Amino acid sequence: MNGVRLQSVDKYFGVVQVIDGVSMEVPQGEFAVFVGPSGCGKSTLLRMIAGLEDTSGGTIEIEGRDVTATEPAKRGVAMVFQSYALYPHLSVFENMAFSLRLARAPKASVIEQVNEAARILKLEEHLDKKPSQLSGGQRQRVAIGRAIVRQPKVFLFDEPLSNLDAELRVQMRLELTRLHRQIGATMIYVTHDQVEAMTLADKIFVLRDGVVQQAGAPLELYDDPVNQFVAGFIGSPAMNFLDATIARRTEGGIVATITGTEGQTLEVRVDGRDPVEGQAVSLGIRPEHLKIGEGGISVTVEMTENLGGVAYLHTRLPDGREVVVERRGERESRTRETISVTANPEDVLVFSNEGQRIR
Amino acid sequence: MSTRKIENGILLMITLVGAVIWIFPLYWAFVTSIRTENHVVSANAGLLPDMLHLNAYVESIFNTRLLTWYFNSIGTSLIITVVVIVSGMMCAYALSQMRFPGRRLLYGVVLASFMIPSQALVVTQFVLMNDLRLVNTWGGIILPQLIVPVVIIVYKQFFDAVPKEMREAVLLDGGGEYTLLLKVYMPLNWGITTALAIITFIMAWNQFFWPFLVITSENMMTIPVGITQVNDAFGVFYARLMAVALLAAAPVAIAYLVFQKKVTEAVMISSGVKG
Repeated sequence: MNGVRLQSVDKYFGVVQVIDGVSMEVPQGEFAVFVGPSGCGKSTLLRMIAGLEDTSGGTIEIEGRDVTATEPAKRGVAMVFQSYALYPHLSVFENMAFSLRLARAPKASVIEQVNEAARILKLEEHLDKKPSQLSGGQRQRVAIGRAIVRQPKVFLFDEPLSNLDAELRVQMRLELTRLHRQIGATMIYVTHDQVEAMTLADKIFVLRDGVVQQAGAPLELYDDPVNQFVAGFIGSPAMNFLDATIARRTEGGIVATITGTEGQTLEVRVDGRDPVEGQAVSLGIRPEHLKIGEGGISVTVEMTENLGGVAYLHTRLPDGREVVVERRGERESRTRETISVTANPEDVLVFSNEGQRIR
Repeated sequence: MSTRKIENGILLMITLVGAVIWIFPLYWAFVTSIRTENHVVSANAGLLPDMLHLNAYVESIFNTRLLTWYFNSIGTSLIITVVVIVSGMMCAYALSQMRFPGRRLLYGVVLASFMIPSQALVVTQFVLMNDLRLVNTWGGIILPQLIVPVVIIVYKQFFDAVPKEMREAVLLDGGGEYTLLLKVYMPLNWGITTALAIITFIMAWNQFFWPFLVITSENMMTIPVGITQVNDAFGVFYARLMAVALLAAAPVAIAYLVFQKKVTEAVMISSGVKG
């Protein structure tokens, strides 16, 4: 059964279209993440599911019920905001009990549900405190607790970790994953941080200009992006893109001449018959797929970022374009060295000039 | 002596002179009120208090309608304060948080009414009250004083500053506009409500011109208007006049001393210095 289903959903702000015919399905109990750059429409889409924004076209279903015109409180959704949106004048307990009190739930039930949420989120000792007395992570947990007590069909998270520091963010990511396993509810999470998307999601929806570019499991998007935008957006450090021209076809692939080099080439595996000789393309290679070895592309190391277990060599082609190379266990600095890098033919992706994947 | 010390000394002197100028009328009223009527106008009356004669106070309390005027002032000021705060808050909430056609125009009207001095409306208001047969009635005193645009403007400013996520969280929690106003916006702005209530009460208490015009019955007069009756009843009896004036000002002065910080805050907010 679908947790959330969108069909041809549009959204206009005045004459500007911010969501363009989005259709998607999030199965019940799945953790879906909307990811994309600022202004791609991911938060608008989430707010439309919550009912905080009207739809200009299309339908939204939650667990099989059309909620397109239903008011927010009756959709069975709960939302966690980036700014927490806690009621500062109420205690943690009262913040979490707010919706239950509005629904005139019996007092005993209110106490039971709030205490249960507090137990799940380890907030028992903070129930009498005001939000101002809590740390950022605790406040975010209260916001999540407020969502839990409503027992919603769908949890919506709008960049909930953006206000936290890096360490707390990692901790909260793990807690969210644990919470999802524990509760088993459908969750939709919006972020611009692809690391959050990769670590949390069962399914990622990559958005750009109000259009879903690709939807799939994190590693599916990582390994098999449908276009250059998704390839560049998913993965950190980002995929390297090298402009190239197809020199000739080979058995099971092509040989491409890299632009900006002295005729150096890379062999690429391509199954289809699409690429033709002389066609300008873009070759996508992830930093970890570039190997230092003879007969590759000459690059000059400009800077080395050594993180201990892994090092990133920021190198430049002769024409100045940057290529990042990942090295495991690298100890020596190669700064200002000229090295030759190459990649396995099956690790190089080919994109047309329009950014579409050529397979 | 350093230049800074000299500067501080001069500033202190200026402040002291200013303070004396401000305090002198109050001091003189007090000194006059504790003298006998004859001594007040005698050539021997100096600047310093030279007797403690409470007759003026006794006369004021027992031989005038001072207690009735007190009661009238408290009643009208309280009603005006409650109605102004409640209606101002609701109006500001609608202007700040709800989307409806003509919202901007309505706010423009509120702003425009803030710019018209109340004295300019007195004649029209009097004619209106007369047509409504409200002259010499409580309605006549209270109704025109219920229009306090500054309360709406200040509330709106504060409501605008509440993050929109707070509103959305309440909507998702199943609350409506009244829940939002009464359980979130109002508690979040208790400080400003208190400040505005105090300043509205003081303004209503001190209101002289309008009640003076609209009320002729001594039983319905408020304290500031009542003082003029003391003058009429006793001729020019300065000690009693000053005693009544001090007794009239006492509740406001006490309220000011108790809520000093809030009053200062309210004056600053309503004059646009802060907020």
